[in-house]
Amino acid sequence: MDFNQIQELIKLISETGLSEFHLEDKEFKLTIRSKEPETITETKIVSVPASMPSYPAPQYAPSAPAPAPAAVAPTPAAPAAGKKEDNNNYIEITSPIVGTFYRSPSPDKPVYVNVGDVVQKDSVVCIVEAMKLFNEIESEVSGKIVKVLVDDATPVEFGQALYLVDPS
Amino acid sequence: MNTNTLFIGQVFLTFPTLLSTNLFAMDYATKNNPSEGTVISTPNQSAGRGQIGSKWESEADKNISLSIILYPKFLKPIEQFDLIKITGLAVRDFIAQFIPEKVTIKWPNDIYVGNKKIAGILIQSSLSSSKIKHAIIGIGINVNQATFLSDAPNPTSIFLETGQENNLEILNRNLCWHVERWYLQLKAGHQMAIHEHYLTHFYKIREDAHFLNVATQEVFKGAIIGIEKTGQLRVFTSSGIQVFDIKGIKFLHENSKV
Repeated sequence: MDFNQIQELIKLISETGLSEFHLEDKEFKLTIRSKEPETITETKIVSVPASMPSYPAPQYAPSAPAPAPAAVAPTPAAPAAGKKEDNNNYIEITSPIVGTFYRSPSPDKPVYVNVGDVVQKDSVVCIVEAMKLFNEIESEVSGKIVKVLVDDATPVEFGQALYLVDPS
Repeated sequence: MNTNTLFIGQVFLTFPTLLSTNLFAMDYATKNNPSEGTVISTPNQSAGRGQIGSKWESEADKNISLSIILYPKFLKPIEQFDLIKITGLAVRDFIAQFIPEKVTIKWPNDIYVGNKKIAGILIQSSLSSSKIKHAIIGIGINVNQATFLSDAPNPTSIFLETGQENNLEILNRNLCWHVERWYLQLKAGHQMAIHEHYLTHFYKIREDAHFLNVATQEVFKGAIIGIEKTGQLRVFTSSGIQVFDIKGIKFLHENSKV
């Protein structure tokens, strides 16, 4: 199970409102608990945008033995807390053209990215439409989306910041 | 009818049916690194796309729907309206072979015969680090379709205008030839000539017409006198020259109600 899968799982679990989840196989054990006071640390990032959906702060705490340290590494709360005061660590994805910002390929399709999603270099993050020419905008950085800065279907200027990305 | 191209259509992929040639081509270009000029085509496009959310009606096996994958790396993102211009000119020239008169480019990307729409263009591009990675030129042309069911405004086809049916395979190839011809003009740096041609064939240019100012909901009389470099419409009105973006202005046809 890789980091992305674990993240997917956390998202799924937080959406269902489960408070605790255990997974165990030959390789490792995974426990995900939510709504515990000490887990709130994670929401510090999350609380930056006021408008984003507030799902319960998840925590994934592998019970020993945990032979998958790579998957655990991104959890620590300390650096997240540090970033609360310091938005400078975030990178902006900006619009390369003047146009209209769309978060999804068409109104009936899901949005390209949500807060909390991890994007890679080359991930499509939105469409900016200019004169009926539809430009898929690719992220220039890898990281986690911490804030969507522009409302769907609204005009954007050249160089205007569209998303805030945590590259760590 | 010329079908001999250098690169557009050298790889010509036809599928029995596709939801949208543009969507397929976009995905294909991202994943397969196809050679420039690769064409994705289908005689049966079931969910062809107009602009976001709107559909393009097309009866199976009657019409042209294809998408061309291009790498116009010589263009800046801000210059992309040039792609709309050359595609409009190519499709106009193509249709004018059958219908010599009244074929115009309705701003920005429809082709009209008189006051009826015969073709639509949808261009999608992928921008990375402020550079164009690839552009998908989607073209839909009504060829042999005789009846239209949708409430799309005034559709027509080559068949309805001429009474002649045409071989779609040959037409596909000839369309590629026209697009290539104009694309090479652009690549060679002939922007001014392209601009002049685009305006020459512009729907309702220098004609008195009625428009709706979308922001104020006012109907006003004016005459289109040109476009900006990035494509905005320049309209001469009683209060001077005004510039409109796509969403800022609507054409009002003689028969349309306000």
